Amino acid sequence: MTFEENTKPVLSLQDLHKSFGERAILKGIDLDIYKGDVVCIIGPSGSGKSTLIRCVNFLEDPTSGIIAYHGTDVKKAFKKLPLYRAKVGMVFQQFNLFNNMTVLENCMVGQIKVLKLDAKTAKETALQYLKHVGMADYINAKPQQLSGGQKQRVAIARALALKPEVLLLDEPTSALDPEMVGEVLKVMKALADEGLTMVVVTHEMAFAKDVASKVIFIDQGVIAEAGKPEDIFVHPKKKRTQDFLSRFNVFSQAKM
Amino acid sequence: MSAMPTTFFGWVYFLLQEYGTVLFKGALVTLLLAIVGTFIGCIIGLIVGIIETIPEDKNSSALAKFVLKSEKRLLDAYVEIFRGTPMIVQAMVVFYGAMSLFSIDMSPLFAGFFVVSINTGAYMAESMRGGIDSVDAGQKEAAIAIGMDHFQAMRCVILPQAVRNILPQIGNNLIINIKDTSVLNVISVTELYFASKSAAGVYYKYFEIFFITCIIYFVMTFTASRLIRWWEGKLDGPHDYKLVHDPLADPTGLLPVAPTPTKKGR
Repeated sequence: MTFEENTKPVLSLQDLHKSFGERAILKGIDLDIYKGDVVCIIGPSGSGKSTLIRCVNFLEDPTSGIIAYHGTDVKKAFKKLPLYRAKVGMVFQQFNLFNNMTVLENCMVGQIKVLKLDAKTAKETALQYLKHVGMADYINAKPQQLSGGQKQRVAIARALALKPEVLLLDEPTSALDPEMVGEVLKVMKALADEGLTMVVVTHEMAFAKDVASKVIFIDQGVIAEAGKPEDIFVHPKKKRTQDFLSRFNVFSQAKM
Repeated sequence: MSAMPTTFFGWVYFLLQEYGTVLFKGALVTLLLAIVGTFIGCIIGLIVGIIETIPEDKNSSALAKFVLKSEKRLLDAYVEIFRGTPMIVQAMVVFYGAMSLFSIDMSPLFAGFFVVSINTGAYMAESMRGGIDSVDAGQKEAAIAIGMDHFQAMRCVILPQAVRNILPQIGNNLIINIKDTSVLNVISVTELYFASKSAAGVYYKYFEIFFITCIIYFVMTFTASRLIRWWEGKLDGPHDYKLVHDPLADPTGLLPVAPTPTKKGR
């Protein structure tokens, strides 16, 4: 890979705004995501973290601003968004596995319908990623027969089966029992170690601290502070960041 | 001719012998009307439900928006009119209206199929819309997020779940139709009620005949209801699943990554 390619962001958000009616949620977000980045987005509830990540693959239509994919404006370049969305995988807080399909079918349907792959190839890829998240034994199960952690791992495999360039994770562990958080974080850490580009909205500060290459603190619709994890967690500059993190620190110290 | 029966059950037995075939044929017509009517009604309902839930695309042209909007209004009108008037009246209007307005002389049976179908369609359209709305919004979002368009998401994800959810409604409609096709006697469709009325008139044995009719209706509706239950269970699939130890899934990596050899030919 050339230096040139490495320095161009895969995704670039430029002055992104999103309002619901009168209520402005995002008020000008600029963010570059490079290949291999693990960007963790933290911040208080209602700050716009989820809206931001949902704007990235146009589940919410940004009110204004540009989302560029390898330098081209997605809105202009992709008349139809599906192919872009296949390149940008999404994992939801509520898993959202297709309830009418088995685990295997969940991981195959996108490949067949969107990437137009044949069933055999789709099955091999699906099995490969299900194995990766440790769920290959469960290919015949229906989502309602799985635990939360298992569902989320399948959801990650479903997204990976499309071989996305960037994986978006919207609070992937927030709906899980504490016991199951670990198994999902482990999968995410392994993916990060393999160099997968990820954007994670999370409340798991320990994960952000260990795994993130970049941490974004969002407050009231703007990026209040951004930087390397050690900058944000050890030497936060802004008062607001310090306040937010102090709550987590008190908690984690109390645990120890 | 032998002596006439004297007891209630004697009459029932006698009438069954005399008119059993007529009643049986009537029951067949009733069943046919109900099943075909419900089936076509479901298809109408499905189509209306799908069109009614097409989201408005902000980027589409003004003409496309207008067409979609007027289609929806038209379908709304259809649903309101056919839900809001009795089927017995619809039968009269369709059968005699077709004759006097368009000089179409349709057979009573055809008019019957037509009325039952569009009447059921109006009800099913609302059920279908409810069924589609009842599927968690996250399902649609996930489908969109992996790159499906609206119609792919509908076909692969939403509709299978929506149809499963409204299966009890479909059963309801089938049972209602088995009973309510009786109103088609006003346009002389020879269904079960019409056949019973004709048979009862001969000996003036209304109670005896309609006792039999009652049982026939109940057997038909009860069977329909059980069949729908069975179908629901079948759609739900097995309650457990088997773990699959696929070679590809072997975490130790000791097994070769190759298709399992089949017993045949080895």
